[in-house]
Amino acid sequence: MNAQHIADEDLVLYSMQSLPAGETAAAALHLEKCAECARQLAEVSGDLALLSLSVDQQPLPEGARNRFMSRIAAELQTAAESQTAAAPIAAQAIATPPKPEPARVIHEVKPRRSWFPILIPWAAAFALLALAGYLGNQNQRLNQLLNGDKGQIAQLSAEAAHAQEVLDTLTSPAAKQVTLTEGKGAPAPTGRTSYLAGKGALVFIGNNLKPIPEGKAYELWVIPADGKAPIPAGVFRPDDHGSASVVLPKLPPGVPAKAFGVTIENAEGSPTPTSPIVLSGAAGL
Amino acid sequence: MPEQSPNPLAPPERSYNSEPSKGSLQAAKAAEDAAILGRVEQGDQAAMGLLFDRYSSIVYSVALRVLKDTGQAEDVMQDIFIQIWKKPGAFISGRGSLGAWLVVVARNRAIDSLRRRRHTDSVEDVVLASSTDLAAEAERNTLMEKVRIYMHQLPPEQRKSVELAYFEGMSHSEIAEKTGDPLGTVKTRIRLALIALRKAMQSKSIPSSSVRGGAV
Repeated sequence: MNAQHIADEDLVLYSMQSLPAGETAAAALHLEKCAECARQLAEVSGDLALLSLSVDQQPLPEGARNRFMSRIAAELQTAAESQTAAAPIAAQAIATPPKPEPARVIHEVKPRRSWFPILIPWAAAFALLALAGYLGNQNQRLNQLLNGDKGQIAQLSAEAAHAQEVLDTLTSPAAKQVTLTEGKGAPAPTGRTSYLAGKGALVFIGNNLKPIPEGKAYELWVIPADGKAPIPAGVFRPDDHGSASVVLPKLPPGVPAKAFGVTIENAEGSPTPTSPIVLSGAAGL
Repeated sequence: MPEQSPNPLAPPERSYNSEPSKGSLQAAKAAEDAAILGRVEQGDQAAMGLLFDRYSSIVYSVALRVLKDTGQAEDVMQDIFIQIWKKPGAFISGRGSLGAWLVVVARNRAIDSLRRRRHTDSVEDVVLASSTDLAAEAERNTLMEKVRIYMHQLPPEQRKSVELAYFEGMSHSEIAEKTGDPLGTVKTRIRLALIALRKAMQSKSIPSSSVRGGAV
């Protein structure tokens, strides 16, 4: 079976309705167009019939047949009543002669019976039935797609919620940031960066940072490995506990870093460092 | 709708209980089913009763195997036959034998009921390449016994995987979690079990354990 067809194992799971929603929708779409996979599916379904036969045959519950026969009798009666209700309307529709157009009356020598007005409602009914069938099919297909999408959305939502939870835990002002140190001395200011150069994605978490004067802020810098000028990576002020974070500042992708540094700048930030580095760390290239 | 399907199927029908001498009998049974369905289409309640008598027990048994609740199993069984009553054209020739088609539909509906979800497919979507004759009770019983024997001859892990998937409605990942096997292994086992069952049923030999007191 080539790569474009549904794998045999997946076809079996599809026939058992055991594929995840997204894969089910994709398989259903493929099956609509692929006669070979549809043939294989029919083969597998034949095998499933065999599996069904491995059950022990059980007697029907008492009265099951009578209950069923009563149901179909009730169905018949309901159908008959609907037909009876519809009949006078139909009869009235047929009995009402179509209003002749004045011009035609003048030119016709003898009134001639025309089937056209009778056929119009039938044609309309057939057209409506065909339309209903088509819409039904479309609806079913869209439902399948929707189910698949719902599954994917649910999965993505779960992943996003998890990621958000991780982020909140790392960066929320409410999160208790504690740096564990040896001994009982006051912990030194520290900063930790995680940097994905290819995506230009960076997360910085600072702890035990010293308070900073009003109108000033710490500024983080990415120091490129190619020796070019430091790239500003966000300004921040520590909270009362000395904690601060910078999450995904706007950075160009594809810039390998040699080191990261933090300086004290004006609160609005600076395009280039203007004061000595207070925190730094080599990227270990 | 079968008529509108872009890939109309002409599945090569298989039969597991038709020796050459029984071919004509089986064809007669299929024709009989078709004739009964034709009468049902005309609103013939007696014909519907005939179909019910012929297949309700096996349909109910499959639903009960999945649901393990007689009330729910009867609901599934009744719904399936009501659907046939309302729409006998849903089963058309070329979809395999009526009995085989019914047992697959019964399993799918029972699983839907088990998962408390709306029906994931319409009965028209079930197409199967099987002309296995389930109309005659005696032949059906023989066939069912044969299938049970072959199922017990499968490697236990294959049988377990396929039963969990088919009768318990578990996904392969749920089975993997339950059995502690890798996902790929579960998928392969299920497929291999079906292939083995198919091959065993196609062979003319009588299952060795069909003798009472064997490994069944």
